[in-house]
Amino acid sequence: METFVQLVINGLMLGGLFAIISVGLTLIFGIIRLVNFAHGELLMVGMYLTWLGTVKLGLHPYVLAPPLVLVLFVIGVLIQRFILQPLLDARDAHVQIFATVGLSTALINLALLVFGADLYATPASGVRESITLGPFRILIGQLVMFVCGIVVVAALHLFMERTYLGRAIRATAQHRAAAQLMGVDVKRIYIVTFGIGAACVGLAAALVAPIYPASPTVGTYFVLTAFVVVVLGGMGSLHGAFIGALLIGLVDSLSAFYIAPDLKEVVIFALFILILLFRPTGLFGLGRGSE
Amino acid sequence: MFRTTRRMALGLVAGLGIGLGAGAAQAEIRLGALYPFSGELAVLGDESWRGLELAVEERNAAGGIRGEKITLVRGDAVDNNQAVAEARRLISVAQVKAIFGTYSSARSQVASQVAELARIPYFELGAVSDSITERKFRYLFRTNPTARDMAARSIEMVVKSVAPAFSVEPKDLRVAIIHEDSLYGTTVGRYQAGFAKEQGLNIVETLPYPANIVDMSALILRLQAAKADVVLQTSYQNDTVLFFRQAREANFRPRAIIGGGGGYSLRETMQAVGQEVMDGVLNVDFTQYAINPKAAPGIEEFVAAYRAKYSMEPRSGHSLGNYVGAKVFLDAIAAAKSLAADDIRAAVVAVDVPDGTTPEGWGVKFGPDGQNERAKMMGLQWQDGRLVTVYPPEAAVSELRLRR
Repeated sequence: METFVQLVINGLMLGGLFAIISVGLTLIFGIIRLVNFAHGELLMVGMYLTWLGTVKLGLHPYVLAPPLVLVLFVIGVLIQRFILQPLLDARDAHVQIFATVGLSTALINLALLVFGADLYATPASGVRESITLGPFRILIGQLVMFVCGIVVVAALHLFMERTYLGRAIRATAQHRAAAQLMGVDVKRIYIVTFGIGAACVGLAAALVAPIYPASPTVGTYFVLTAFVVVVLGGMGSLHGAFIGALLIGLVDSLSAFYIAPDLKEVVIFALFILILLFRPTGLFGLGRGSE
Repeated sequence: MFRTTRRMALGLVAGLGIGLGAGAAQAEIRLGALYPFSGELAVLGDESWRGLELAVEERNAAGGIRGEKITLVRGDAVDNNQAVAEARRLISVAQVKAIFGTYSSARSQVASQVAELARIPYFELGAVSDSITERKFRYLFRTNPTARDMAARSIEMVVKSVAPAFSVEPKDLRVAIIHEDSLYGTTVGRYQAGFAKEQGLNIVETLPYPANIVDMSALILRLQAAKADVVLQTSYQNDTVLFFRQAREANFRPRAIIGGGGGYSLRETMQAVGQEVMDGVLNVDFTQYAINPKAAPGIEEFVAAYRAKYSMEPRSGHSLGNYVGAKVFLDAIAAAKSLAADDIRAAVVAVDVPDGTTPEGWGVKFGPDGQNERAKMMGLQWQDGRLVTVYPPEAAVSELRLRR
């Protein structure tokens, strides 16, 4: 029983990690209708920046979170404005997706060029210690990620519901052409959305870096699971992504223990297919009617 | 249209003629060097090449082969397709007499196939996959130890080194095997399980996992539940770091951890994990530089030559392994009756270098499949931030240190 509880705790904490990485992806997925294959590489860039900030400037990784959010926001804005926007009216919408694949490859190789293939470990800065609750252990860094995940989802939810910009973003997601007719500057909305999506990755990078060392391909480790989380939660649904992430985390942890570590992906993807069979729009998808 | 084609063809033939003529006039022996010189494996590919380059320069300084200078022609095996294309180019355009390589097992596997068909000897100095020599090619030989040797050494260390250090019978140790589930980890893991069974060891868990795993906490809980004393891990770098970090976080402290190559030998792994965590961890890998020079005669001279040429310390043991292997093959080529493939082959088959006489420590004697039967991996341990040789005893520079 003790082991089971510990597995559940580990699973939820892992889910928190997936959640914080997936939030930005689901935003971009849901609003711009774009599969951003460079999402993991944005995380990688953020993790290298965290490493630089901690090692060269001696700052705590969490202190670096606000500047990283800003930097990644700007990077996101630039990507949408100068790489994706020119392709917006391409005859085939998939061109944009290919552009993000290209961006991903370019960023991985840029990192190889600048940093080489070695690992860059951000100092633990105290977050790799465990809190013990009776017989159970929770890693401080993971707990922080979990809480931040909830806060980010709640904050974005309020932003989307309560602000004018948020409503415009939702309107664009529901129907691009109609929103345009109502006077929404769709291109600007896309730029802001991509920026916010990337900014979420900035926060994730600052939280993830002290737990996982940065390497050029670190993004690819997380991005496939992030896609599953996004589709499972219902594309574009923020709380859906959060619940989806927790579910994946739990399944990952329990199946690795009770079945086998190399079969956990089989279990995760089997579950994924099953859920899509019965709920094609995901757990919290908008269902029919959305674009 | 026809006329232009013919003129181009004539020009091409004339050009080739000139090229070949120039080659013959210099009286040189061309040998191919096929390594990944660019792409993600470039660092260790280049490190491997340096060993070959040093061996050839040494040979040339001593008069080359039968008075003829050796020229190395480089081929860049950046991926599998490129490895095949470059092997073809080396054989048909550069007309090399033999190819040396390759560091990467996958690239060796495909490039050696090209050489075998063209009847050009292929000398493998660094790729570890057993399947390369299991094909029993006629012109393929390998000096370096393989995944099987890695597994054999790790089990040998459990029986002859770890168990005596704790004053227990080997069969009383609870051994767990964990490995990443690509060809590399699976091969080593399977051999480990086989050798462990032969030795009567008690294997309590065998857990493969994907190399891109992001959470090993459940795997570690299983090891804890199985009360594993000794953990054998075959892994890359990321999963090595993850295992140590999460084992520490879960307060899992087996009596001994023995790693296999790759991730365990790199300084960056030790730094990412922390020196105090990595201290005492065992590892099985190619011969490293912290070894007793009596067991590896010539290693100090090699390091001196390396420093003189590249103005830095060797980046890994790959250069040493390639150097030793290349020297063996160059000697064989020099002893061959002619540079014809079958004469070179006969000379290589006759090679008999006793153990303890090379800078790698092991000797060379090829089996019928072309694999060096005397190749062995070394037992290493992280001590005070350094990776030192602790097994076998004659090669050790330090005593095995285990937590009581």
